[in-house]
Amino acid sequence: MGNKRKLKKVYPIEENCISCRYCEVACTMVHSKSKDPLKAYKLENLLPRATVEVKGAVSLSVMCRHCKHPFCFDSCISGAIQVGEKGQVYLDEEKCVGCWNCVLVCPFGAAHPYITEEKGHSFKCDLCKDRGFPACVEACPNRALVYDFER
Amino acid sequence: MKYVIVGNSAAAVGCITGIRKVDRESPITVISYESSCYSKPMIADVLVDIPEDKLIYRDEDFFKSNNVELVLGHRAVEINTDSKVVVLDSEETVPYDKLLISTGAKPFIPPISGVDKKGVFTFTELSSALSFKNYIKENGLEEVVIVGSGFIGLEVAYFLAKLGIKVTVVELLERALARAIDKKGSEIVEKLLREEGVEFIFKDSVSEILGDEKVSGVKLGSGRVLKAGAVVVAVGVRPNTELAQTAGVKVNLGIETDDHMETSVKDIFASGDCVECLDVTDGKKKPLPLFPLAFEQGFVAGLNMAGKRMKYLGGLPLNSLKFLPVPVLNAGIVNPPDSSYEVLVNDRFDDKGFYRKAVIKDSNLVGFVAVGQIDRVGILTNLIRQKIDVSEFKERLIELDFGLVDLPQWWREEKLKNDKTAYKDWRAV
Repeated sequence: MGNKRKLKKVYPIEENCISCRYCEVACTMVHSKSKDPLKAYKLENLLPRATVEVKGAVSLSVMCRHCKHPFCFDSCISGAIQVGEKGQVYLDEEKCVGCWNCVLVCPFGAAHPYITEEKGHSFKCDLCKDRGFPACVEACPNRALVYDFER
Repeated sequence: MKYVIVGNSAAAVGCITGIRKVDRESPITVISYESSCYSKPMIADVLVDIPEDKLIYRDEDFFKSNNVELVLGHRAVEINTDSKVVVLDSEETVPYDKLLISTGAKPFIPPISGVDKKGVFTFTELSSALSFKNYIKENGLEEVVIVGSGFIGLEVAYFLAKLGIKVTVVELLERALARAIDKKGSEIVEKLLREEGVEFIFKDSVSEILGDEKVSGVKLGSGRVLKAGAVVVAVGVRPNTELAQTAGVKVNLGIETDDHMETSVKDIFASGDCVECLDVTDGKKKPLPLFPLAFEQGFVAGLNMAGKRMKYLGGLPLNSLKFLPVPVLNAGIVNPPDSSYEVLVNDRFDDKGFYRKAVIKDSNLVGFVAVGQIDRVGILTNLIRQKIDVSEFKERLIELDFGLVDLPQWWREEKLKNDKTAYKDWRAV
């Protein structure tokens, strides 16, 4: 804060997107325990943090924009959402109490609810912080996702 | 430069965040009579034994790393604008150059006879929530009456029912959450609560609290008598403006502020539940005691206190019922006042477990309700906030797969490609 942000984030390029959903699969896989796409979906019941939207010939993959002003951060009642040094917006699923405020205020629909019998929490893109390079970008066959400095 | 903040909740933390975006150095002092920075919307969870540390909204590290001095356990009783000091109940003084009043709201207590008896509680502070919990345990209570069916009342009712206590909610209006949600939403919420064993009495009120020293029951306006070992009064909150008045700050229903969150007195700012906030859906200023709005106001106040001129976007009334197994979300105007509003409904609650409603006026979305399936509804919230023309795609608003592809291409270009996501970028278009 106060210093110049030097954040790299993922940019969707709708002109290049063919709605193949590889980004969704890759995202779910790398955030799973099994690191296996099938197990991630079927056994761990995980969901992708990127959402591929399709309307006629237009499609694009939408994930957290790590906004310069994150409304989700304003609205988080538990303190689960925190802003990192460069402006990354992180959500601590353990601390989250599932109040759904972030789902209610994200202009991109990028904070998603995860609801089970026992407990609910939100989840969102974490820029693959444990991995280093975003898996969705790596998986995209058509350069419809690029990893680039904030504009 | 000395920054002083009175209060230690959402608006205060927002203010610290805002100040530190601009000014990393100058000292900030936070004054609060409470002992920690906990999350106010989460206090009902103490009834189901949430661990204390989970309630903490910002821990000591946050205050340390932001160079904030905490003056806890002391009430600010007066502001002296001539010498620019805040006077504490210990008679110590804290000097300020820029001051934020974020004193929150206090529960409104209707004039019920016997309301001062032992066993009557409110639910806006952790200490009162904890003493209520202890009172139930110590007295082995089996029956509790809740006055009011707002968010706090219903949450307390739900948790008590979960504990096996017989709960009756008494509400003056004809349905639960009548001021916050639409009729269908109320029906769903009432159904979910009844399934847990909560009973409702509508169009009635508590006229008398019975018992000698301790509560033993209540008498309703209709003459009915209910047995109860405790009563929770949750009919709403009022801005807490006592401290502001000592400074001669202009106060209506709440503290009046300008677009920069500054009060009528120079260098004194105010934010959160104690202020009157501009409601973007109708352009009126009114108290809107909502957590996200408090944080945002505090943040904008903080920027301005530190010398960065920034206008507050205004508040959008929004709510999420966080305690039910089924999520219930709403924003903006959900009960259209007249026929100039268009209402679109997608009600599949009975067979598919979801309900959506959109309220439109003059080509703009002005409100919505989403129950059951809530993923990505924030896109709708933003349409209200930015006053985007929805006439081209309005029938899509109530579909579950509504998304950014439904929005005009210029919007995606601006927000996704050009990263226009700073605070000022979310103004009405």
